[in-house]
Order: sequence, then C-alpha cells, then structure tokens
Amino acid sequence: MNKNKYLNCSLDVSRRNFLTRVAATGAALSAGKVLAQEAPKPPADPAGTVANSTVMGEKHAGMVVHSERPLTASVPAELHHFAATPNDRMFVRNNLLTPDIDAAQHRLTVKGSVHKEVSFSLDELRKNFPVVRTQAMLECAGAGRTGFVPRPSGTPWSVTGGMGCPVWNGVRLRDVLRAAGVQNHAGYVAGQGGDFGVIATAAPVIRSIPLDKAMEPHTLVVFGMNDGPLPKIHGHPLRLLVPGWAGSASTKWLHTLTVLDAPFKGTYMDTSYRIPRDAVKPGEKMPPDALVTEAWPVKSMITYPAQNAVFKLGQSVLVEGRAWVGEGAIAKVELSFDEGVTWQTAQINSATDKYAWRIFSVEFKPAKPGFTTALARATDDRGNTQPMAAKWNPLGYFWNGVHRVGFVVEA
Amino acid sequence: MLAGVLLFLGSTVIALAQDDPVPPKTLTPGKGVELTTARCVICHDATHITRTKLSRGEWEFNIKNMIERGAPIAPNEIAPILEYLATYYNRDAAAPAPVPAATASAGDPVTGLLTTHACTACHQTDKRVVGPSFREVAAKYAGNSSAAAMLAGKIRQGGSGVWGAAPMPPNAGVPDADVRRLVDWILGQK
Ligand code: HEC
Ligand code: HEC
Repeated sequence: MNKNKYLNCSLDVSRRNFLTRVAATGAALSAGKVLAQEAPKPPADPAGTVANSTVMGEKHAGMVVHSERPLTASVPAELHHFAATPNDRMFVRNNLLTPDIDAAQHRLTVKGSVHKEVSFSLDELRKNFPVVRTQAMLECAGAGRTGFVPRPSGTPWSVTGGMGCPVWNGVRLRDVLRAAGVQNHAGYVAGQGGDFGVIATAAPVIRSIPLDKAMEPHTLVVFGMNDGPLPKIHGHPLRLLVPGWAGSASTKWLHTLTVLDAPFKGTYMDTSYRIPRDAVKPGEKMPPDALVTEAWPVKSMITYPAQNAVFKLGQSVLVEGRAWVGEGAIAKVELSFDEGVTWQTAQINSATDKYAWRIFSVEFKPAKPGFTTALARATDDRGNTQPMAAKWNPLGYFWNGVHRVGFVVEA
Repeated sequence: MLAGVLLFLGSTVIALAQDDPVPPKTLTPGKGVELTTARCVICHDATHITRTKLSRGEWEFNIKNMIERGAPIAPNEIAPILEYLATYYNRDAAAPAPVPAATASAGDPVTGLLTTHACTACHQTDKRVVGPSFREVAAKYAGNSSAAAMLAGKIRQGGSGVWGAAPMPPNAGVPDADVRRLVDWILGQK
C-alpha cells in the first residue's frame, strides 16, 4: 500500500458507503474464484476513524512507524530522555482502527457480576470520584521484540520500543467498580473499547484482569495524559491504565467494564498474549499450559548517550537511563563499559510514583579512545536481574535483555 | 557505520540499535499469492507478512490465530495459504525465486547492489575469486537461522579465517538495508 496515499486519504467516506464496501468484500470472498485485483481494499480511513496523518502530525519527527494499518509507532531510546514521557513520544499500538469518539456523548457502563448496573458520563466520573494523578509505565507485551533471535512474528519494536512512562489523570477503577457493587463470587474485570476493524468479522480486543489488580489504587480509568486531555490515539475520551502490566490490558476508548467470575474467554486471552512457563525451542508451538501475560519483568534502557554519539577523550560522560519493573521496585542498576566483564553500581533517583520508572546515572570517563559500549542491567527487590537475552517465546513477549549502546571516543 | 556491529553472547546476539529495512508492501509473486493477498491483506497491510519469517508450524498457528481474530478463510483455503507462506516467508528455508518473473523489472536489483558496493571485486556467484563464491556461502549456512545476522555483521566489519587466510576488508559505507538484502540474496543462492 502506498504510504503517502494512505496517510493523505481524506475522511470523506460515509459510514453507509463503508458498510456497502464491506458487504461487497464479503461477496468477493464467497465467489470462490479469487484474483489479485479482487483483494479486498478497505477504505483507508473509514468514517468514524482518525486518519494516520492526523495522529502522526502530533508525534515527534523521530517516531518510527512500524505498521500503517493498524497504526504502530515508537521512538528510539534517546528520545525518552525525559522525567516523564511527553505525549509526542508516547508509543502507538493499535490492533484495529483509531476511532473518533465524541466525549460529550460518551458513557462508561459497568455491568456483569455487580449489584447494580451503572453508567457514567465523563462529568459524572469527575464529580463522583476522587480525581488522581500518577506517573506510570505502560508497555506493550511485545515491546523489544526485535531482541529475540530468531524473530517471532508481531510488531518489530526495537529493543527499547513500545513503552513509555507519562503522567496519567483519572479516577480509580476500584471506586468505579464499588459504585456498581462487585458481587462476592466475581474475580475478574474485562474492559471493552470503541475501536473496530475494517471488516465486521474482526474480533474485538477484550482482555480481563484479576480483581486484585483492578482494585489496586494505581489502576485507573484515565481521562487525561500529562495533565492535559487524553489524545485520540491514546484512548480519548476514556481508557484503562493497568500500570506495569502488558499494555493490552489498558483498554483504550473504554466504554464497558464487565465484572466476571472467571477470566474472559476470547482469542486475545486464550491464543494471544500468552507466554510459556519455561523457554521453548524457537519454532515450537505454544504449550497448552502457557500463562497469560501480566506484569512486566525488570527492565532498563540507556537514554544518554544516544547510539553513535561522539565524545572527546578526557571528557566525562554522564551515562543515564531508566529502569522499571511491572510489580515491585527497582533495587539496583549496574552499568558495564567492558561488555559485561565488570559492572559498577549506578546512582538511582528516589522513588516517586509506585509504577513510574526510576532514573539512574553513572559518570563515566573513558580511559581509551575508540568505540565504547555501555550496558545497563537492573535488579528488582525480589532479586530478579535482567538477563543478557530474554527467554525465547513463540509470540515474542517480555523482552527484557540488557540494553547496549555504543558511542565513539575520539583521541 | 558502527550501528551494525553485533556482539555474540552464547547463542544470542545483542545488536546495537538498528532499524529494520522497510518491508515490501506487496507479497512476493508465487503460487497462492492471489488467495493469500485476498484473505490476509484486509485488516492489516501486507507488511505484517513481508516483515516476517516463520517456521511452517508457526505459520500454521498464525493462520488459526487470524481465523479466531475474524479472518474470512474457508477450511479448504488453509492448506494453500499455509503452503504459500511456508514457501516464501520461511525462516528455515530460503525462498525460491518469485514466480511470474515477467512482471519483475529488468535488471536484478541485488546484482546492481553487488556492483555498486564493489563486492564483485572479490566475489562471484559460482566461482571462488578472492573470497568464497556466494553459492558456497549459501551451502555452508543452509538451515542456520542465525547466519543472516552473523553475515551482516561480518560484511560490515570484515574478517578472515573462515574460508582461508585472505581477509575481507570492512564494508563500512554500505547502508544497513542493503546489507540485509545482500545477505538474504546470498543465502538464497543455489
Ligand atoms: C479479521 C482481520 C484480520 C485478517 C483478515 C488477518 N489478520 Fe493478521 N492480524 C489481525 C490483527 C488484529 C492482528 C494484531 C494487530 C497487529 O499486529 O496489527 C494481526 C496480526 C498479524 C501478524 C503479526 C503477528 C501477531 O500474531 O500479531 C501476522 C504475521 C499476521 N497478522 C498475518 C496474517 C495472515 C497470514 C493472514 C491471512 C491468513 C491474516 N493475518 C489475516 C487481524 C487480521
Ligand atoms: C577485497 C575483497 C573483498 C571484498 C571487496 C568483499 N569481500 Fe566478502 N569476502 C572476502 C574474503 C577474502 C572472504 C573470506 C573471509 C574469511 O575467510 O573469513 C569474504 C567472505 C565473505 C562472506 C562469507 C563470510 C563468512 O564468514 O562466511 C560473505 C557473505 C561476503 N564476503 C560478502 C561480501 C559482500 C556482500 C561484499 C560487498 C559489500 C563483500 N563481501 C566484499 C573478500 C572480499
């Protein structure tokens, strides 16, 4: 598909027109005889969606697009050199199209194993519940996938791609759930969002989380990002924030919360977002007892210097980065400037919000000219340390291998 | 130039930051391409496939997964789609030449790259010159899934000792995307 053609495509496609085309697609599909020209060509920007060009127009020029349909994009590590991730550097990960939702009409419904079904407008959410603000990690389960050798299928995020740590504004999910009254036998909550695919058969992306995590005070129904409105691409007007966990649980464009007695059954719970208990041989099938991806393991990245930066010998370099873990806390970050032979402990900033990344730094004075590398590895408070390479798994989730950056020291 | 340097640690590689080459926007022409395009290039663009190389078993899983996600694929269409994907996008076996060569533009683009980057000064496809023939290289690494990454690193950095004492000098100025294409092409020589 021609990139520019797609990006510049106008929104001038009516919903009915879109549905007609979908129907025509179905007819072509059932016709049996298939020619290349008959390949269903969905309208690039169906009615009710936000064009990629609009989304990318608000993003940093250094953001790399991995897929145009559905839109996925991310920035390199050095562009994360901020205390909190600014909106224009926050990664984009859609499964379907980007819906354009009218906040004034939008409601959030809570149903399922509750005492009474309730629904709230945005104003009602703000008025009824304490408004909170927290900085927290959001990271796609497949973030860093290109670290895996051989490469599993899925978005080719760079080793530090597919994550960010902005400030979120919203209300606590537990307050919203309590307003409906969670029944005793309930154990899970599933979020559903207003995104849709180019054909009507595309399965909605529904994920459930255990109630314990839903009731955690940092799990939010979010309506703001970095103290401003929530951008359309990040879920406007409402989304879930399930901090530290595989990003797919943080449903964007949230309109329904269903309280369940058992985990939601659906392809995005049972086939995708699964990880084997133990590493499997590359190419092998997903074992039947694979686990649902939940909290991210301990991870870190170097945000300064950038890859291929140039320094003068004698100059000291303040090597800096970010470290985080899905549940728990960062206990230690170490850096190596000799490819992992020796390690030195980095300074870490004092903890801020529970799920925010920590900033670490080491002052490094290169002793010799030439190409020099910095490796960072973090350890959490349960004693888990980042491996050199994460365990291979069929869908390429949870890459947390040691991050390595190279720079040049000139004599 | 240093961005392509690879470090080997056991069986895994920590590569320095490097962008993937832009994957093709259409599927490789070959038996089954029409059906695969019709069934698979709907919800997402073709790059989901062209950026991917999987084992046959993984493609089988992927098709089942896509049907669960709503792909309109009839039971009797699974086998031909699997055959196509496992032929042209197979991690374990080099892809055969695209089939309707008639539509391919004249002049093989990779042959052009070999000349542009002066690889032909030392290499030929079927004869050893200063360096090994590309057929020898392809045969040596057939079925070795980490060969592509290794060879990309070797082409950039140069080296000696694998084929003899003669060294290959570093090929520093070759863009990453070209190195990948060259390696894919070299590994596909039979
Ligand atoms: C009903 C819509 C739909 C159709 C049709 C479809 N896919 Fe997908 N596919 C998806 C969705 C949704 C994703 C996940 C989001 C993404 O990565 O874009 C996906 C992702 C993928 C991925 C990335 C790996 C992964 O598991 O996420 C590959 C590879 C892929 N599809 C291949 C195919 C192939 C091959 C076909 C035809 C057999 C196909 N798709 C048809 C919806 C579809
Ligand atoms: C000045 C001569 C020279 C040039 C120019 C040259 N090579 Fe080589 N190449 C060699 C030699 C000699 C070897 C064998 C090295 C060894 O034994 O490790 C070699 C080995 C290789 C190998 C096999 C490496 C291995 O470890 O098995 C590949 C692949 C290769 N070259 C590709 C290329 C490509 C692509 C280019 C152009 C970008 C290129 N070469 C340019 C001399 C050259």
